[in-house]
Amino acid sequence: MSKNIKLWIVHCILVIFVIITILPLVWMLSSSFKMNSEITSITPTFIPKTFTFKNYLNVQKNFNFLRYFANSLFITVVITGIVIYTSTISGFVFAKYEFRGKNILFSIILGTMMIPWCVTIIPRYSMVLAVDGLDTYLAVIIPAAVSGFGIFMMKQSIVTIPEEMLEAARIDGASEWFIFHKIILPLSQNAISSIAIFQFLWSWEDYLWPYLIFSSEEKQVLAVGLKNFNGRYGTDYGGLFAATTISIIPVIIVYLIFQKRFIDGIAASSVKG
Amino acid sequence: MTNRDTLHKQEIFSLKNIVVSGLVLFYIIFIIIPISIAFVGSFHQWNPLKGTYTFNGIENYIRVFNNELFWSSLSNTLVFTFVVILFRIIIGLGIALILYSSIVRCKTFFRAAFYMPVVTPLVAVSFIWVWMYNPQMGLINQILGTHNNWLVNKDTALGSIMVMTIWKDYGYAVVLFLAGLYSLPKDCYEAAKIDGASGVKLFKYITLPLLKPMTLFVVITSIISYLQTYIQILVMTEGGPGTSTYVTSYLIFDEAFVKYNFGYASAISFIMFIVIGMLTFISFKISSEKGGQGNE
Repeated sequence: MSKNIKLWIVHCILVIFVIITILPLVWMLSSSFKMNSEITSITPTFIPKTFTFKNYLNVQKNFNFLRYFANSLFITVVITGIVIYTSTISGFVFAKYEFRGKNILFSIILGTMMIPWCVTIIPRYSMVLAVDGLDTYLAVIIPAAVSGFGIFMMKQSIVTIPEEMLEAARIDGASEWFIFHKIILPLSQNAISSIAIFQFLWSWEDYLWPYLIFSSEEKQVLAVGLKNFNGRYGTDYGGLFAATTISIIPVIIVYLIFQKRFIDGIAASSVKG
Repeated sequence: MTNRDTLHKQEIFSLKNIVVSGLVLFYIIFIIIPISIAFVGSFHQWNPLKGTYTFNGIENYIRVFNNELFWSSLSNTLVFTFVVILFRIIIGLGIALILYSSIVRCKTFFRAAFYMPVVTPLVAVSFIWVWMYNPQMGLINQILGTHNNWLVNKDTALGSIMVMTIWKDYGYAVVLFLAGLYSLPKDCYEAAKIDGASGVKLFKYITLPLLKPMTLFVVITSIISYLQTYIQILVMTEGGPGTSTYVTSYLIFDEAFVKYNFGYASAISFIMFIVIGMLTFISFKISSEKGGQGNE
């Protein structure tokens, strides 16, 4: 087979997959600018005939969408920030310190990643109920503050930082906290990027726990809001497309910001794992 | 090592001590205690709405095993998990191999494109696909020229959800396999080429065995996450038509937070926990028996 034909076939396969992958997302985006009559018409269009922003305005008018958006953003940013910090500092301790029970603790942390959500969610719910924590932001944030996945990733990455570097800093009189904040954190940017992307996505799309915790509408998150919106305005397709588009944008932005470093990050941790 | 230990021995509030005690505390409160409560609860008639919490031995477990819906949901879960993992690996590995070859241009673009659905929230993606499958306005019927109501027809409902899940997740496998390929030792290939190995042989005897740890990683993380699938079901079919798309995690959600049978739902959860543990163990076993190249 000549090299040109090969080149052509290979790129064709890739382009077909790109189209399959992107098409639903592009269709959603374009439909969010269409009038409802155009979306449901028998002769479908791909590019909107009449371009309208009405759907986006209606979503906010009928349904306090910005409120859900702000709640999700707040909860997600706080959880992601906390998880990055707790993962890095725990990863640092597991990578660079010795203590009794270290291996047992680490195996427990890894092992618990295998526990299905359904085992712990009922007791957690009754625990929150018992401390009167329903309908509070803390009930959503605190149980998510530590991530086994994050600790594992950070340990894998921090192990590769040479011991001499830390020794040199210690000889200069640096405290352990100083070493962590000024050496370990800045050197872990790749792994931190992948945790940022994953954790942001996971918190952003988390459905069941916020659904159980929040009873007042002004605290509810976007994932639950989207489902409620669908239940209440199920025929307002334009609105649904607009709402869904809005709910995707923040994760895509986070992905684009971190994506360069991120691929190196997951590559490193999973191969060695 | 000993030098450092003596230096920091006196400090009780050292970074290490604070972190370790924090972790221990967190895992006791949010993992150990909940598991214990769930385990004990699974032997009780436990319903917070009715306010009941009475011991009933293994009755919950007996009820689970006599429940036909449990068995059909478990079989749906296993079929779903198996098919989605299979396609995820075939497509993921195939595309990773293509992207790895030196003749491909615009690698970063392709990689980023394949990864888009992975970073899109599952609730949103599920909605998009509900409309994709919509018999009137959906793209699927328009493209295929069919008149099927995919999610309401009980022969296609589960399959349609599987297709959507494969679409969302194969990009993650692409990135992982690509990472695996880039980390392969180059000297293996050179040695094999000098010995006259052809492309197919290189792939079969060198690339595939060396990718085994990565494949195992993908299989195990997939098993754990797909056995717990419920969001797609909740958004797309709510278990219907009839009960044909019930998966076990959706059954648990339904029993726990729609009917508030906490004890019964805990019993199903523990059975699910054991299923996940067993399947993970089996995949470890299979991978260490076959070939046994010993690079795990």
